[in-house]
Amino acid sequence: MNTDAIPVSDIEAIQAELTRHKPAMTTMNLVVWIDSDIKRDWVIERATRVSAKHPSRTIILDSSPGRTGAFVRQSPNGADDDGGQNSRVEIGVADLTPVAACELATSLLAPDVPTVLWWSADSLNEDTAFRCFFDNADSAVVDSSLGVRDASTLDELSTFYEQHRRVALRDLAWMRLHPWQDIIAQFFDDPNLREELFSIIKLTIVSGSDAEALYLSGWLASRLGWNAVGHDAFTDRYGHRIRFQHERDGQPRRVHSIAITSATSTYFGTVDKDDNTVVRVWVEGKNAREERIFPLQAVDNASLIEQAALEGGGTDEIFETALRMVATLIDG
Amino acid sequence: MTQTLSRPDGVPGGTDVNPLRAGVASNRITDPCNVVFFGASGDLVKRMLMPAMYNLRLGDIMPNNYGIVGFSRSEWDTDQFRDEMHKSIDEFSRSGPAKDPLWSDFAKRVSYVPGSFDDIAAFKKLKEQIDKNDEELGTQNNRLFYLSTPPSVFSQIIGMLEQAGLGPRNNPKGWTRIIIEKPFGTDLDSARALQLEVGKVFDERQVYRIDHYLGKEPVQDIMALRFANVIFEPIWNRRYIDCVQITAAETVGVEGRGGYYDNAGALRDMIQNHVTNLLALVAMEPPVTSTADAIRDEKYKVLCALRAMDPNKIMQDTARGQYDEGSIGGKPVPGYRDEPSVSPQSNTETYAAVKFYIDNWRWADVPFYLRSGKRLARKNSEIAIRFKSIPHKLFGETGDHIGNNTLVMKIQPEEGVSLRFSAKVPGPKMHIRSVSMDFNYGTGFGVVSAPAYERLIGDAMRGDATLFTRWDAVERAWEQCMPILERWQNSYDDSFPNYSAGSQGPPSSDRLLAAENREWRKI
Repeated sequence: MNTDAIPVSDIEAIQAELTRHKPAMTTMNLVVWIDSDIKRDWVIERATRVSAKHPSRTIILDSSPGRTGAFVRQSPNGADDDGGQNSRVEIGVADLTPVAACELATSLLAPDVPTVLWWSADSLNEDTAFRCFFDNADSAVVDSSLGVRDASTLDELSTFYEQHRRVALRDLAWMRLHPWQDIIAQFFDDPNLREELFSIIKLTIVSGSDAEALYLSGWLASRLGWNAVGHDAFTDRYGHRIRFQHERDGQPRRVHSIAITSATSTYFGTVDKDDNTVVRVWVEGKNAREERIFPLQAVDNASLIEQAALEGGGTDEIFETALRMVATLIDG
Repeated sequence: MTQTLSRPDGVPGGTDVNPLRAGVASNRITDPCNVVFFGASGDLVKRMLMPAMYNLRLGDIMPNNYGIVGFSRSEWDTDQFRDEMHKSIDEFSRSGPAKDPLWSDFAKRVSYVPGSFDDIAAFKKLKEQIDKNDEELGTQNNRLFYLSTPPSVFSQIIGMLEQAGLGPRNNPKGWTRIIIEKPFGTDLDSARALQLEVGKVFDERQVYRIDHYLGKEPVQDIMALRFANVIFEPIWNRRYIDCVQITAAETVGVEGRGGYYDNAGALRDMIQNHVTNLLALVAMEPPVTSTADAIRDEKYKVLCALRAMDPNKIMQDTARGQYDEGSIGGKPVPGYRDEPSVSPQSNTETYAAVKFYIDNWRWADVPFYLRSGKRLARKNSEIAIRFKSIPHKLFGETGDHIGNNTLVMKIQPEEGVSLRFSAKVPGPKMHIRSVSMDFNYGTGFGVVSAPAYERLIGDAMRGDATLFTRWDAVERAWEQCMPILERWQNSYDDSFPNYSAGSQGPPSSDRLLAAENREWRKI
């Protein structure tokens, strides 16, 4: 491993260093964009976990103030502890324009393998490098659940995605909800309870950040033909009002509980208070069902990024319709 | 009034469709069911099957409504059975010890019925338990019976199921399936006799003959390698392939199963089922679709095209061995005849090698060498496709040997694919050296494959028989092996024991290939 920084302008030196450390097998390029020192270690640690499992060429572009120079490492930890299956280049791009940073990263990609962009920055605006990278990747991973400005990030994402639909977009905030979607869907797998979907009057979601609640309600609304009315209500296809209540509580990026109230019953799901890997599910009211336990599948970021990378290209129509509904809800 | 729900994407829906299911990622098995394990106090259930069930639950693959019923001779009650299963999961589950609240939720669905396999009263109690589960656990009359018992009681259990009203004909409201462990018969006649009994109660589509080898990820990858890539299929034939070597080598001995093994031997235990299945997957034509029967049709055709052994050439085209004392991993191990419950004059082979030909356009005159043995140098299961030599040596300094290209599908313990090819050694001269390009599942995908039993039980619950063996294929495999078995049984091998534990196998096996100027890959 070289310990001295290579000047970012010396692309050939960076390429030569990457070639010197070329691993036996590379399954993808993982391009990671970082825009703040606060998140830097957190993001790199997760990117490292992904590349440790999937031999990758990881290109970390750090636009945090003052970051310059390039370092090429053979393995995630900067040592040969994984048999040299990974190569990683960390580049400080604070002094480069977004387009120049993008061009630099593109010149360093390993050929013939898919490129996954992990965009860890808050902003998805057109004037960032996001657009440039987005157009050069096979799939892009974002996380709209930041706990600070979820709604505006989702709004930007929706706007951006309307204009750039070529690339497969994966939002970690959306992917975290897959187990919850399954849990909600299973209530209505029983054909006798399906009519309940027409008489929902209230939806309550408790989550640690806003994106989860917005996505989950947007998904339900898009599946059931609801329309958003303001920020806290929908109308169903017959014009009946459905109250939407979101409470912020618990761990960020996690749904804590849901309750769907129909004219006759309430359908509950809540994370177990002692074991956050399982969800307790039950129904009260006319259609009362005794409590069941559901495993909550791994939702850590490294696993989700890995899943997003392995899923490959292709668009997700259910996600797209849910995202459009979320935008409608945010716009009120 | 029935309201019709139309989905916002314009796809017509209705109350018969759950609109929330569209696009929701879930591997969960949809049909609720009861899984009944016969031989529930046995080793297979403890070590493999119950941990597999628990891991299916942990992975959220089990259906929403399920019941698990254990049935065996042990005089346990349900609480004792649950305790035993808890212990076995703690000890053998790949995901570690069972934890609450998931274990408690799982255990609620586990019950036990003690009984002998010839006791109709016990089978009636079993039916009562299953009916109770249908009512209380919502398992909706779907039943999967798993025979994890000695083969000697398979027929008896199947007969009792029918007598107790648990056969498929008595269950019009749901499905009934049966998983039958190997071996399916001990020879052609006994296999046919067993099939006769199975066929009296179950249709072929309800029978899942399990060969856990087929549940291994690399075995499933054989089809992906062949039919999801364009580069291999054009050369996958007699024009380019010199020979195929299929190896299933073990370092273990009979591991306390001397009584069983001394009546079985390597040909019955491995070649007739596991190894022949691998041969069929390697040699079959592309199936028309990926459905279970389309794939199994093609495998069956390969077995039909296997050239029958010429009775006069059996000793020439096969090799058998029996291990003597030796050392494995630096530790001394006894010879086969010194193992418990093994006859000191045993004529049973612990090593078998066979040369087969497939008489069809693709494979005419390409030898398929199959071998399997115990107490060999290394645990190694693989399929090696050895390509023909180059037609003309253009490069290479005097003395350079240009090796044949070899594609190796590694099944266990390594899982992956490697390709050996020739490359120039750097330097001013044109030296050629064989190099290897490796793909390893573990590092390539970074995921640990689920154990074969987990995959296969899940498939049976789903009704996907792709990875299970159909009767016609079992029968053909027996037909092919019988002449060898009979010849070996009727001729005492004076050379036994003829290979040391920890070696590459008997010299007779090497001669099988040496006669044709070939050699085995090192185990």
